[in-house]
This record gives sequence, structure tokens and C-alpha cells, in this order.
Amino acid sequence: MTAGAIWVLLTIIAELSFTSLNIFGDAASEQGEFIDDAFVLLMLLAIPILTFVITMIGYVFFKFRAKGDELEDSAPTRTHTKWVGFWLIWTTVLCLVVIVHPGYTGLLEIRQTSAEEPDLTVNVTGRRWQWMYEYEGRGVQLLMKDDTLVLPNHSLIRFNITAEDQDVIHSFWIPAFRMKIDAVPGLTTYMDVNTTEIGHFNDDVNFRVQCAELCGKDHSLMFTRVEVVEPAEFEQWITNR
Amino acid sequence: MPLVRGAIYAVIGFVIGAGISLGITSITGEDSTEPLIVLGYVFAVIGWLMGVGMWRTWGRGWFGKPTENNPGGGWERYIRFNTDHKVIGIQYVVIFVVVFLLAGLLAMLIRVELADAGQNVMTSTNFNTTMSLHGIMMIAVAVAIMMGGFANYVLPLIIGAEDVAFPRVNALSFWVVPPVVVLLLLSPLFGGFDTGWTAYPPLATQTPIGGLLFELAFLTFGISSILGGLNFIATIITQRAPGMTWGRLPIFAWAVLAASVISLTATQWVAYGMLMIIFERIFNMVFFSPPGGNALLYEHVFWFYSHPAVYIMILPAFGAELEIISHFARKPLFAYRWVVRAFGLIVFLSFLVWAHHLFTSGMGDELHGPFMVLTELISIPTGIVFLSALGTLWRSKIRLKVPLLFAVGVVFNFTIGGLTGIFLADVATDIALQDTYFVVAHFHYTIMGGEIFGAFAAGYYWFPKITGRMYNETLGRIHFALMFIFFNITFLAMFIPGTVGMNRRIAEYPPEFEFMNLVTTIASIGLGLAFVPWVYNMLNSWIRGPKAPDNPWDAKTLEWQTSSPPPLENFEEMPTVTGDAYGYGDESVVHSVFGRRKGSAHPPVPAEGD
Repeated sequence: MTAGAIWVLLTIIAELSFTSLNIFGDAASEQGEFIDDAFVLLMLLAIPILTFVITMIGYVFFKFRAKGDELEDSAPTRTHTKWVGFWLIWTTVLCLVVIVHPGYTGLLEIRQTSAEEPDLTVNVTGRRWQWMYEYEGRGVQLLMKDDTLVLPNHSLIRFNITAEDQDVIHSFWIPAFRMKIDAVPGLTTYMDVNTTEIGHFNDDVNFRVQCAELCGKDHSLMFTRVEVVEPAEFEQWITNR
Repeated sequence: MPLVRGAIYAVIGFVIGAGISLGITSITGEDSTEPLIVLGYVFAVIGWLMGVGMWRTWGRGWFGKPTENNPGGGWERYIRFNTDHKVIGIQYVVIFVVVFLLAGLLAMLIRVELADAGQNVMTSTNFNTTMSLHGIMMIAVAVAIMMGGFANYVLPLIIGAEDVAFPRVNALSFWVVPPVVVLLLLSPLFGGFDTGWTAYPPLATQTPIGGLLFELAFLTFGISSILGGLNFIATIITQRAPGMTWGRLPIFAWAVLAASVISLTATQWVAYGMLMIIFERIFNMVFFSPPGGNALLYEHVFWFYSHPAVYIMILPAFGAELEIISHFARKPLFAYRWVVRAFGLIVFLSFLVWAHHLFTSGMGDELHGPFMVLTELISIPTGIVFLSALGTLWRSKIRLKVPLLFAVGVVFNFTIGGLTGIFLADVATDIALQDTYFVVAHFHYTIMGGEIFGAFAAGYYWFPKITGRMYNETLGRIHFALMFIFFNITFLAMFIPGTVGMNRRIAEYPPEFEFMNLVTTIASIGLGLAFVPWVYNMLNSWIRGPKAPDNPWDAKTLEWQTSSPPPLENFEEMPTVTGDAYGYGDESVVHSVFGRRKGSAHPPVPAEGD
């Protein structure tokens, strides 16, 4: 009973303090919002398990320590069918729940090639140690390391990603969108993002394209600034280029 | 001096191999440097093995000549080819403790570099080499410290055997390890390698010579691991004492058996992977590098070993953890049979989850679902291990000694390690967290918080048996307290930058992540210092600690029923097993009786009681 009460109390405190923290800033894409929600849900499910283990360890150390030089053995309980069954059931049920949501729901949300035409397609090529971009059908290319990747808000953007043939594997990651996919020589991968927030690298460092797969010497510095602007402003920018 | 002879033979071997290679490349007209190193190395290893005593103990027999069986006694046993599993166990522990401390110093260097956002003490190339070396050295420690070290020493004792099934193979599996260590330590002098321990091609085929040395080292280490696994499987199947039925086998032996199955069958894949990279380098073959090769193929081959490999690391640690909890809680191991089933299920599933490392690799999206499901299913058998640990502690009479503290430390740390694993098994959250510091924190919780804490539990637990002396309990507690606290601060703090957008394997990072990195760095220095009392305690106690009784823990398993340290061939009189090893509080269960003479016919085996 005591242990149970401590566990419930610990769990409530931990859940409340976690939900009151906003650990990450707002995600700037629909996919990112789903991922953040999934992260929070998994945390809420994980916290009671962690507090259970902490409570159990603390309680048995406090309650069941051998006193002094007492060298008696414990009562020889070898197993307890009901507890084992209960344990197997709750771990299995929780596992299945997580597989369905955010597992399979996430697959549908994140990596489903949507039937709708993207509002913008950007072809991305990685090479040591910079990214290059081509706005498909818009006649704009960004070939310099210092260029800023400008993207329209409230749009479905498809990135087609590869790396140069004689190059190595990179990974195309935009932390603000929470999305990444490798850039592999000899293979074209894709990543769909529905943008939801405007933002600029200068205000939020997560608005950047960062190489996330170790690619040698200047891997740390292989990033591009990202700016998400309203669609009208984006069209303006395209025209000016 | 076998070591000197080994070194000389290695040099002679290298010259022969390099000479052959030079001869061939002078005819074919190809670049000669890397083929020369590879062939020279192969001959050098053969020379080294023969020099350190394999020729005298084993090789002469191939030509019908008499062999010498373990010549030399005293401390010289430890620096030559010796087939006693206890000698080999100590050899493994000592060499990997040294590697562990060196790789730990590299970790300190990494943390100093990452204390602030810019470049501090290293160029980015040096950072990459430091980080990669830290990785592969710690992986080697993690694979070998439980299996090569403690399992080698304890397993034959705990099942009542005189030695392993193939003692000479066992010695061979140890003596290929020093070349691995030498290659890794040499690699920074030859340009290092900037691929991490994962060595993804095409990058891995383009590294300086240092990268080739790393690939040869990994391949060689794989051979050691395969031979070790083979040996333990054969030992557990054939060398158990009479009466040691499967239902009475101590849980540590089950864990070693489970890990050995993975060690034998999965390691071959990474060995192939390394061999193919080496062939790409020296024969210009094309497997992984476009055009013509497929870079994703390597990732599959690599993780087909490297995911199961984490169970080679953690399963023996789980075994030691549960073993220690039962003996120190003075209570039978809770749900023993379910734990055995769980180990079996973990081994089975461990082969079917590798592609969760590839969710962001660009592999087919249709593979995401199955690998997510299979990965998350592993949480169910792993949960059984926790049920057993907590169930054993419940209503027990805990003797709060250092081995128990570390064993319970495993329970706590692995809870965090396991729970954060679910975030990486889920495709949605993994796409965000893959390649960030969240992953780094997660696997340090499982491997360091799980296995290495388990290895320290095992180290303190079996120290009296191995050395014949007691360690200092107070220093042990100080070590545990420091290590536990600073470990948790270091790696809890590391989750945060990973979650908010800091990727791993970088020397420089955006200044926004500076604060948490500084916290990690400061705590990691505390973690480093935690090993000072441990090193002092181990050395000092080994030399002048009080003599240990045969069974200081009053435990029932067989390794405690012989002298500390045990004699050659382990037991004066051979044991017969009559019950399981966890009969605490139950007078009717007697684990073993002694009195059988060596080599005598097996007495009638009592029927299994449970």
C-alpha cells in the first residue's frame, strides 16, 4: 500500500512537471507537430514505468534490508503466476498501443507520399561539405554555402535528395520541421513537409539544414540557413532571383 | 620471453607478407601501399601467435611433434599462450580495463572540445578520429569484458567443468586481441579515420591508412568474438557437471549461452562487411561505392551484426545482475524459467530488428512498419528481466554490498535506457531524433549504464574468487556513489540538446546548445574521477588486501564451492549437482555435493526436482 501511494504521488508530480515544461519550441511543420505530440505521449507513458522502478528500488532498500549481521534467508518464493501473468499482459498491451499510435498512425502521417501535387519541389544535392538546391520549374538554383534556403509557408514542399556520385552519405535534416532523410550517392530519396510557421535561422537556430550523417572533416559546418516566409513574399523572392 | 618472441616473429611475418605483396603489385603495376599493409599484417598476426606460444602449445602437434602443455607458472602464465580459462579470463579483463581507461580519456578529450560551441583543443579531423577511436575501443570493451573476461573465468566454474570445451581455441581467441589494440592505437599515427565506428562507405573506403588499420582491427576482433561464442556454446552443452540439468543451470550461464549464439552467428556479418571494404580498397572491387555499388547494402550488413551485438553486451550483464541480486537478496531468483524464455526470445528478436537503424537511410518505406513492430516487441521479454529483478528483491533480506549496489544500478539505468529506446523504435519520433545526442545518451544508458555497471557488479562480486583477496568495501561504495551520480547527470543532460536539435559527431555546434553541453562536460569530469578510487581499490586490494575466504558471500553456485582462487582444473573433488542454485530459505534444495574423484564415472544423476 505505502509503495503504491508513493508511486502514484511520484507519477503525478513527474507528469505535471513534464507537461508544464515546454522542452522544445514549436515545430514548423505538420509532420513536426505530429512528432512532438508523439514524443510527449511516449514520455507520458514512460514516466509511470520509471517512477515505478524508482519507487520499488527505494522501497525495497528501505524496507527489506538485512538488519545488522542478520544472516537469515528470505522466504523461498520462486514465482507468482498471477503477477507474471499481469506483468506480461500490461507490457504486451502497452507495446501494442504504442505500435498502433504513434507507431502506425505516424507512418501514415510522416512517410506517406501524398497523392496531391506538391506546391513546391526542391531538388537537393549534398557534397562535402555543402548543400545545393534547385527550385524545380522555377529557374532558381542555390549553389553557394552562404545562400539561404527560402521556403513558402502553408505549402506542401517535396524535397528530392541525393548526393554527388563520387561523394559520401549525408543526411538532410531541418530540425524546425523535425524531419530528416539521408542523401545517398546513387540514390534519390524524398521528404515531404507541410510548412506551418514562418521563421528564420537568425531567430531560431533550428531553421537550418544540417547534415546529420558523419561525412568527414567539416561535417559540423555542413549547414544552410533556412527562412520560411509567407507565400506572397516567397513569390517575390523567386522573381527577384 | 614469449611477448618479445611474438613481437620479433610479427616483424618477420610482416616483412614476408609485405615482400610477397610488393612482388605481386610490381607485376600488376597497381598501387602497392595498402595491399602491402594487409598482407604484411596477416603474416604478422600469424608470426605473433606462433611467437607467444601457440607454436609450442599447439602448432608442433600439427606435425606430429610433442607439445608443451602450459609451460611456466607464476605471473609468467599471463604473458604467454596459456589454455587455462582462468588465466585467459584475467588476460581479457586486464587488457580491456586498460582499453576502457584509454577510451575513457578520449571521452574526456571529446567533452573538453564540446564544453563550448567553437573549436577548442582539436581540429575537426582530430576530433573525428578521437570520437571514432573512443567509439570502437568502447565497443570492443563492451563486447569482450563480460564474455571474454568474466564469462571465461566464471562459466566453467559455475557449471562445474574443469575448463572450456576447446581450451586452445580459447587461448587463440584471446591472443588475436593484442594486434587489435596495437592497430587501433597506431591508427592516429597514420592519418586516423573519420568514419566513426560504424564506418559507412563510401566514406570508409576513402580514409587514410589509419582507416585501413581500423578495418583490419575490427575484422580481427570479429574472429576473436566468433571463436569465443563457439567455445561457450560447446562448453555449456558438453561440459556441465553431472546433474546440472538445463532447469538447474545458473542464470548467468543461460545469459552467456544466449549471447554466444549471437556472437557466433551475427559477428560473421560485420567481418564480411569489413572484408568487403578492405577488398574495395586493395582490389578496387565494387560493393558499396557508387557507381556500381550500393551504399545502403553496407548499412544492412553492418547493422545485421551491430544490433544483435548490443545483446552480446547486455545479456551477460543481465545474467550477472540477476545472479547477484538473488545471492545478495537471499531469495530464489524470481520467475527463473520466464527469464530463460525471455533470453531466448531476445536472441530470436535481436536478429529481426536491425533496420530500425535505417529509418532515415532512404531504404524502402514499406520496411518501416515491420521493423518498428519487431523492435517494440523486444520490450516484452526485456520487461521480464525487470520483473525478475524487482520480484526477487521484494520481501527479501538484502545484504547491501557493493556488487548489489551496482546490480541495482543496472536496473535503474537500464530502465531509462530501455524507455528511451522506444522513442527510437517509433518511426515518427526516430526521424526527428536519429543522429542526434538523444541517441548518444540512449545508448550510453544501455551500454554504460546497463552493461558496464553490470561488469562492475561482476568485478566486485568475483574479485575475491579471482584474486583470493577482499576489496575494500568503503572505497567500493564511494566508487559506486560517484559513478552513479555523475553518470546520470552526464547522460540525462545529454538527452536535452539531442531533443532540441543538436546532432551527434560534431566538433562545433550552434551556441544555443552550449549550456547543457557545459553541464555534461563538468559532470563527465566527475564521472572520470569516479574511477580513481576504483583503480586504487583494485590494485591495492589485489596486492595487500585481506585474504578472502572460499565463499565470502555465502552463495550457493559452484564457483564459490572451491578455493579462492581455484586450483588448476578448478575443483579438488568434482561436484555433482542435486538441485538448483537459488534454494535460499529452502533447506530441501541442495545445489551440489562434492566427493566425486576427477575422471571417475559419473554417479547416478538424481532426478530433477522441479
